[in-house]
Amino acid sequence: MSATWRAHFSFNKYSQICARALRQSLKEGERVQAEKRGLTALRYQQWSNGQGGEQVYLNPPVDEAPKKSAAV
Amino acid sequence: MLARRTLARVGSQPSALGAAPTNARNMATLREIEMRLKSVKNIEKITKSMKMIASTKLAKAQRAMQQGKQYGLANSEVFQHTLAESESKRKLFIAISSDKGLCGGIHSSVSKMTRRTFIEQKETLEQDSPIMVIGDKVKAQLSRALPQNIALTFNQIGRDIPTFADAAGVADLILKSDVKYDSIVIVYNKFVSAISYEPAMVEVLTENALKESPGFKAYEMEDDVTKDLAEFSLANAIYAALVEGHACEQSARRNAMDNASKNAGDMINSLQLKYNRGRQAAITNELVDIITGASAL
Repeated sequence: MSATWRAHFSFNKYSQICARALRQSLKEGERVQAEKRGLTALRYQQWSNGQGGEQVYLNPPVDEAPKKSAAV
Repeated sequence: MLARRTLARVGSQPSALGAAPTNARNMATLREIEMRLKSVKNIEKITKSMKMIASTKLAKAQRAMQQGKQYGLANSEVFQHTLAESESKRKLFIAISSDKGLCGGIHSSVSKMTRRTFIEQKETLEQDSPIMVIGDKVKAQLSRALPQNIALTFNQIGRDIPTFADAAGVADLILKSDVKYDSIVIVYNKFVSAISYEPAMVEVLTENALKESPGFKAYEMEDDVTKDLAEFSLANAIYAALVEGHACEQSARRNAMDNASKNAGDMINSLQLKYNRGRQAAITNELVDIITGASAL
């Protein structure tokens, strides 16, 4: 039961990786729909002493970055 | 006599001077009313279309909520018999809302609830309990009220229907952060009906609390798996709260925009009435001038 991944990341990460693998193995039509469910644009910010730190992307957008600047 | 006349003239002069501007202002008000009418009409168009968008999104959000709520219900059912042994003193608050405004009081209801808990549970709660916030609006409100307590903030969730990936990311970041707490409390908006919502709190057990709880010991779980369960249940609870909060936000925005367009409609009516009245009065005045001029000839 105890696997090697436990030393490196959490169960949620593990489940997300499994989910991504499953989504990518789906058929074309279903895959596009399902992949939307795996997207996250989450950004977070560490606070200390009432001061906010920098906004950090959880998953930095790679392809979307140039597209975004054009839209704005 | 002469003095009185000059006095009268002095007295009448300002009014005569003032008469021209009032007349001019009268003309200006007509134009002003017209301009205001136009701008209010534009605002009404905007609020109406926002309402339409919100109502279509609400249907989608409600469907997502019904499915997402199941996670939360199943989650809480697992822990029904595993109550924590002792009341924890240091709680981690997770306030869940979103980034965008123009949706009534859903953000302030969450932040108010958080602040109220801090005040009401003065004795039992450590005053420097950490707070984590999802959503920019609540972050702004709480950073004014309780800036020292905020440990982590998240945003860019809730533009569309929240995904489980969002919840898992948040849960992982919370667990990874080295913030000390005994138990987790999620503050979110509970969906009551399409037109009402209320702030609510849900408690999530941490790994240590699970291990110590006598009800949970009966299951004889391994430590590794218990840790997984605690992590996954936190993600589940966050996901359920996120989708419910999202549905609340859409319904609140729909109602707010409905009210705004109603008010704009009332304003348009009264302005239209005022405008027509003013126009009629101006026409009558001009007619009177012409007729008196003609009859004087």
